[in-house]
Order: sequence, then structure tokens, then C-alpha cells
Amino acid sequence: MDLYRLSACDIVREIKEGRCSCLEVVQSCLGRVDDVEPEVHAMISLWRDQSIARAKELDARLASGEDIGPLGGVPVILKDNMCTSGQETTCASEILKGWKPPYDATVVELLKEAGAVILGKANLDEFAMGGSTENSAFGVTSNPWDLERVPGGSSGGSAAAVSAGYVPISLGSDTGGSIRQPAAFCGIYGLKPTYGRVSRYGLVAFASSLDQIGPFARTVEDLARVMEVIGVSDPKDSTSQEVDRSDFSVALRRADLKGKKIGIIEEIDAYDYDPRVKKALEDTVKACRDEGADIVPISLKTAIEYGMACYYILAPAEASSNLARYDGVRYGHSAKDASSVVDLYLKTRREGFGDEVKRRILTGTYVLSAGFYDAYYLKAQKVRKAIKEEFARAFEKVDSIVLPASPTPAFKIGELIDDPMAMYMADVFTIPVNMAGLPGLSMNVGLSQEGLPLGVQFIGPRWGEEELIGTAAVMERRFGKAEIAHREVK
Amino acid sequence: MSLTFTTVIGLEIHVQLATKTKLFCGCSTDYIGAVPNTNVCPLCTGQPGTLPVLNERAVELGTRAGLALGCRINKVTRFDRKNYFYPDLPKAYQISEFYVPLAEKGSLTLLGDDGEPHRVGITRLHLEEDAGKLVHGASDGRIVGSTQSFVDYNRSSVPLAEIVSDPDITSPRMAKDYVSTVRQMVRYLGVSDGDMEKGSMRVDANISLKVSDGRWGDRVEIKNMNSLKALERALEYEIERQSGILSDGGRIKQETRNWDDSAGVTSSSRSKEESNDYRYFTEPDLPPLVLSQDFIDDIARSLPELPWEKKARYEVEFALPADDIAVLTEHRELAQFFEDCVSYGSTPSRASNWVRTEVLRVLNEGDGDLATFPIRPKSLSALLKLVEDKKISTTAAKEVFESMIPGVDLDRAMEICGVTAGSLTGDALVGVVRSVIASNEDVVDIIKSGQDKKDKKKKFLQGQIMKEARGQADPKEVSALIDSELSL
Repeated sequence: MDLYRLSACDIVREIKEGRCSCLEVVQSCLGRVDDVEPEVHAMISLWRDQSIARAKELDARLASGEDIGPLGGVPVILKDNMCTSGQETTCASEILKGWKPPYDATVVELLKEAGAVILGKANLDEFAMGGSTENSAFGVTSNPWDLERVPGGSSGGSAAAVSAGYVPISLGSDTGGSIRQPAAFCGIYGLKPTYGRVSRYGLVAFASSLDQIGPFARTVEDLARVMEVIGVSDPKDSTSQEVDRSDFSVALRRADLKGKKIGIIEEIDAYDYDPRVKKALEDTVKACRDEGADIVPISLKTAIEYGMACYYILAPAEASSNLARYDGVRYGHSAKDASSVVDLYLKTRREGFGDEVKRRILTGTYVLSAGFYDAYYLKAQKVRKAIKEEFARAFEKVDSIVLPASPTPAFKIGELIDDPMAMYMADVFTIPVNMAGLPGLSMNVGLSQEGLPLGVQFIGPRWGEEELIGTAAVMERRFGKAEIAHREVK
Repeated sequence: MSLTFTTVIGLEIHVQLATKTKLFCGCSTDYIGAVPNTNVCPLCTGQPGTLPVLNERAVELGTRAGLALGCRINKVTRFDRKNYFYPDLPKAYQISEFYVPLAEKGSLTLLGDDGEPHRVGITRLHLEEDAGKLVHGASDGRIVGSTQSFVDYNRSSVPLAEIVSDPDITSPRMAKDYVSTVRQMVRYLGVSDGDMEKGSMRVDANISLKVSDGRWGDRVEIKNMNSLKALERALEYEIERQSGILSDGGRIKQETRNWDDSAGVTSSSRSKEESNDYRYFTEPDLPPLVLSQDFIDDIARSLPELPWEKKARYEVEFALPADDIAVLTEHRELAQFFEDCVSYGSTPSRASNWVRTEVLRVLNEGDGDLATFPIRPKSLSALLKLVEDKKISTTAAKEVFESMIPGVDLDRAMEICGVTAGSLTGDALVGVVRSVIASNEDVVDIIKSGQDKKDKKKKFLQGQIMKEARGQADPKEVSALIDSELSL
């Protein structure tokens, strides 16, 4: 059987038990990439030679009896906003084209320690700003289920790579939904951990108080395996928390949802969104009931009605500061023939940044500026606090919350790109989770009539990844594992 | 009608904290003389994806300084980002404490212009990271006329404490005194080298004048004063400049001016910081800094006696002249040396003299490091005791002292100098007297012939004998022996 079709945990087992080699797995995955990538365009850089060399190195260590780790021999792909030492890391931006970081992100070190083989870097919306991966300076990625549609964003490349079967697992980052929404669009699992669970050291910052790195996978077991590897506190990230390394073995074996209370959000009932997604949510709620859960209506008025407005003040504000360092002085694109320092700055950033990035920098600068700070930034911080408290009160009543991941299934390429506001509205169900720093898991519950993946989202309390993994494990038994996108590609 | 002016000065002092590593990364802070861009890492050069980790020692030192200044230490503080673009600022923001500083509302008491004690309030002390250094290509090193500039990030992210005074300073003399006191304090505390020439202490001044007819001149900021002298001169110049304008009925332009030490004038600066909106917001990459009462108490307990406390105590305990006290207490190590001598039994005045004249002289001739000075207080004290007890003369003691400098102990040094403790008397003295008489036959003849009016020649012999005796003979006994030997 095609090795690229296996889950990560299965690959580890097959290799450990000697039924295949790391090299064979990598070659199978590279073969799949070669077949599908011309149409999907999920990758910014493919590490062909390096991954083959690494696979051979792992095979040699195996041969000498070494344990190569919990992800031993598993090919992975990383969103191209995670620093990989000596290897191009572009953030899908002209301003970092060709830039090679002098260090590895902590998650990269952890994956390497665990025996993973990095196959390459995936496409994204520039600096993780966007919901469709159309804002990349290096081309659009297509949804493997329908090449005329977007894979979602900003981690569209990472999601497409797993959905298309390049690799069983990949890493993305989620600031306002950038893992959960593409997971839903591409029919796979995506997990945004609790803020502070996974180190941000080496993740190129977009919005520091919202960003989190998380896994994509086609099985719940794989999601859990990656979280065990990367969910470790890091002294290099002062916002990373001292929490015990997770052990999901009990959660994965959860039998049913008896005794669990699952919340549904009243304000979403009243929300007008795609009936296909609505149906998918209803199916999920019914499944939860059938598994023994109590469904509890809860109100998250501030989160649903003000979360977006709050996010689109705070995230751009932080981004405007985080992206100020791209000035052509130390690294990255530097404008030629600048006549002064100010000219250097203006030209470099004008040439290097795409429109969406510029839009957000302008917005962010505005809401922080003298005379507007109180009305916008400070006010938004207060609303954020209210959202956190609202969720905290909800989790006194429920163990998790179920809601859509996105108001629609994957939309067509080009459909929303000229309407930034409409694009922003697509984040309404994912943003509040980042505002509150909670974990969120996106999963596939079926296909629409047109063959488009339909996903739903579960939100957990802070440090509630186990709860989410357990619930997803139960759901997986009913809805099945995620599939590699099946449509004719040749 | 003649106008008079009241001077209102506030000072901002930046001190580089004496930590081994930078404020947010593990790079060395030892940038003086280092090859450019060698004490750097991805963090302090603002590479994408890097995150700050707070240096605890910097917080300790900042707290120390805050407590010494009588400030309240804020138990919960947060860092903030000060955003602006400049090539020496690698992240395009400086991590500082804007909204809630580490310490606030302290004070220093200085000598007022009227001779009475004058309180200068300390508004705040906060931590922040330093920027890199720009070097401009023009021959005079200034930005005007340069076609190229270079940036060195060795200094980037070095920890600073910024100390802001209330506008309570009323004259250039007091400003100098204030800075000098703060400098002495940070050195006493081990918080900073406090070296203005080397740049580990920088001072900016804000100065305005109040006019006797009720007008207020706008505040002017003065930068680039690199010594205490420059500070005083710059402020004196500004007072003249501003009072001139105000006397003519003009208005003071609120601006930043740079002091030019060689030209002796301030000039308007087209500074990067003018009309900048820093868009301060709380640093999301650092959690709140929470200090326990225990942490603060431990540091408070570990504070050494502060320079002004020591001065006051010396006045009462040792009754030494003010100038001498000033010299002794200038440096904590020297003061400690002096106090140790006293505790080993030396009288304060003798110890004071010797420390100020002999010890300090040798230190100034050498590398000035009291820690490696071979003569320890105990040994010096023992030497001084011999002088106290009149067992050796001061002159002899100074010779012995010199011999001890290379690291020789007291007894050996005395041997080398041929000095014996205790008097030269009786037969031993007779021997010396006879030997001197024998070597000075012509002088003896003059005395014997009765031509020694006013005893000049006898005094000469006496002097020679005392010299031979290394001052250890009793002058009266010598005189009597000369008389008896010469049968006078």
C-alpha cells in the first residue's frame, strides 16, 4: 500500500517493526508531492535532498538498535512562518524572500528530537494575515478537494499538504482561526492549543498575545502524538506556561460522552450562515447526544457580537509593532538606491509587503496612536477581558462547546479577495477562542453534496486539550478518520 | 524694571546596570572596546521569531537603586513597547516600563543654593533596554555630512535604569551635585560603574525659567553632556540663552538642544525623537513582573550604608573635617579600608591621614584597585600603632610603608629598612653617638673650641645621630650623651 496514506502513528509502528524504512516512507511522500503539487501548490520550498539524507541517517541509527523517537521517520511539513535554521523561511512575503534564519524554532528542535523528517515549508497568507492563502507573494494554494476553491488560511498550505496526502501531519499557526478554518475547509483535523501550551520561540510573530502553533492530522491519535511532542514549556518563550507534558492515552480511549456537558451557543442559532454548515453542526450535536452527552445552551454574547471587532483592533495593533523590524537594515529585502534612511524604510516596506499586510499595519498603527489609543486599543483590551470572563463562566456549566469552524465551506478562489471585510467576517466563530486563549479543535464530519468538506469546532477550557482529544476520539469512531482528498489528479 | 529668573531643572539619568548579560538575552554586556557586532544574537539584533526573557539580576539591581533612593517599589509591573524607527533599534521598538515603573516617589537631599538642605524628588526609576550604537562616516563623526553610517549592536539590549527627577533642581551647581550623588550611590551599591565618559551613565536635562513678572519659559531638553563639567556649563549657557530671550520679551521654543562642548553652546537638534508618537502598549511577550515582599525585603536588608549616611556618621563618630570625610567616603572600598583600620585600633585622625595621603597616593600611581592593594588594614593598623606608641617615628613608618607595598609583611619590611621598634638607648645609643662623633672630627673641633654659637653644630651632630638611630632615640638623651662624650 502507498506508504504516504498511512497515519503518523502507523508509520512509526511500521518502521519500528521493520516492515518499511524511513527512506521508503519519505520517497513515497515525495512521490505524492510530485504528483499533486503542480495542481495544489501547497509548498513554498521542498526539502528533497535534505529529507532523503535525514531519512537515511534515521535508518542507520535504527539499524544500530537506536530508538528514533515517538515520530521516528514521520515526514512533516511546516508552515513557512516557523524558523528553520539555514533554510529559507519566507512567511510568504517578498520582504523575507531568500532569508535563512540562523536558528531553529523550538517546535522544529522538538520535532527533530522526536525523529521527524521535515519535508519542506508550506504556503500561507503573508505573515499569517488572511483566511484563504490568497495573500501569499508566491501564489495561491488550491483546496485538494476542489482546485478552484481556497484551502482556507492562513495555514492553507499546511492543511492542503495533509489533506492531499503529502504528509500525515503538519504544523500551522492560529491567531484568529488560521488552523481551525483551513482544517474544516480541507476536511482534516486541526488543533489550536491553549495559549502558552506550545512555544512561540521561532514562530515569526503576527499578534504575540494570540498566536499559537498547532498540528494538522488525519487522525485524532496523530493530533495527540504531535501535541505530546510539541506541547512542552520553553524557557525561551516567557509566555509559555509550566504545564505537565500531556499524556493523551486515556483520552484517546474514551468510550463515549456519558456525563459530559456540551454547550451550544445561543447567539449562533440566530446567526445567518450556510445551511450546509448548519446541518453539519446539527449532525454533530445529535451525535454527541447519542453518545450520552447533555447539550446545554449557553450565551456568549460578547464573544460572538464583539469578538471580531475586538480582534481587528488588537491583532493589527500588535502586528504593526511586530512587523516594524522589517526595514531593510539587517536582513531580508532592502531597497536599492534609497537616498536616506527614511527612504530606505519607505521603499523597502512598500516593495516588500503585500496589500493585506499593509492594511493591517495601517490599522494597527492608527488604533495605537495618540488620541485614539483609549477609544480603540484600550477599549478593545477591556472587551477582551470581558470575553475571557464570559467563557470562564460558560465553562463552569459545560465541559466543551461545539460550534461551526467557519460560516461557509471553502469558497472559490478570488471570491472574497477584493472584499477584505467579507474575508474578515469569515473568522467570526474562531476569533473569540484566540481572544480567550482557549484550545479549539476542528474536525471533519462529512462532505456536502458538491463534495466539499464540512467541519465543526470544539472549544475547551484552558489546558483542556485532553477534553478535546477525548471528545474528538469519540466523534472519530462515528464520523470516521479524515480522508486524503479524492478526486482525479492526473 | 529689572527681571529676575528662577531656574527649574529636572534631570533624567540613564545608568547601565552592572549585569553580566543583557536585559533580555544571554549576550555579554561587555561592549567597550569589543569588535562590533560580536556580542549579539538573534534576539538583540531583532531577528524574526525571537522572544525576550527577562534578566533577574537587572531587576535586583534596579530594585536596589530604587530602595536606596527612597522609592516605593511597585510589586506588580509590566513592560511596555516604545515604538519608533531608527537603525540602532533592531526591533523598531524599545522594551521599557512606561505605564508602571519599577520604583517611584523617592528623594535625595542635597545642599540647597541657600546653604540649607534641599529635597529633590525622584519621580520614578524604571528598567529599559539600550539601543545599538551608530557610527557616522563623516570625519567629525557627526551625522551631518556623512554619506555612510554604520551600526553596532553590541550595546543593543544592554540593561538600563532610567532615573527621573522631579523638576526640583534650582541651579547648575545643584544639578552637578545631584548627578555626582547619584553616581556615587550607584557605585556604592554595585549597581553600575556610573562612568559618564565611558557612557555607562548618561544625563539629559530639562530646563526652564520662571520670570519675576509671572511668565514661564517653555521647557528645553538638553542632550549630549558627557561629563559633570559639561553638564554644569551647558546649563549655565542655557540659563543665559533663555534669560536673554525672555528679557527681550521673546518666547522659548520647546525643543531638544545638543550641547557642543568644544564650541560651548547648545544648538537645536533635528532629533529623531521630536514629535514622535511612541504608541506605547504593554509588551505581550513578557508576563507581569511580580515581586514578593520577601524579595524586596531581602534586597533592602542587603543595602550597604549609603554615602550620605556614611558621611553623616563620620561627622558624629570621628569628628573629622568635612573635606577629609568627602575624600574618605568617595569610594565605598576606601571608606571600608579606613573603617577597618579604625576597628583594628588606629585613631581616626591618623588612619584618615594615612589613608588619604599614603594609601590613596599609591593607588593613584598604580591601577587604583584597592582590592589588590597588598597592604591590608590590619597591617597598616599595626604599623600606625607603632607610631602611636612612639616606638618608631613617622618618617621611619613611611619608609616601612614603602617597603610593604610590593607585598612584604610588616616585620620583614622593618628588617629591610633597619628599623627596630622601641627606643635606641643606653649602650647602643652610646655606640651610635661615638660613631657619629668619630666621622665628624672637624665639626667636633669647632664645638670643642667653643666657637659653636647657638649650638648650630651640636644640632647638626644631633641630627646625624637621630638619622643613624632612625628616629628611635630620645633627643634629650642624645643631647646629654653628646655633652658627656665631648666633655662639654
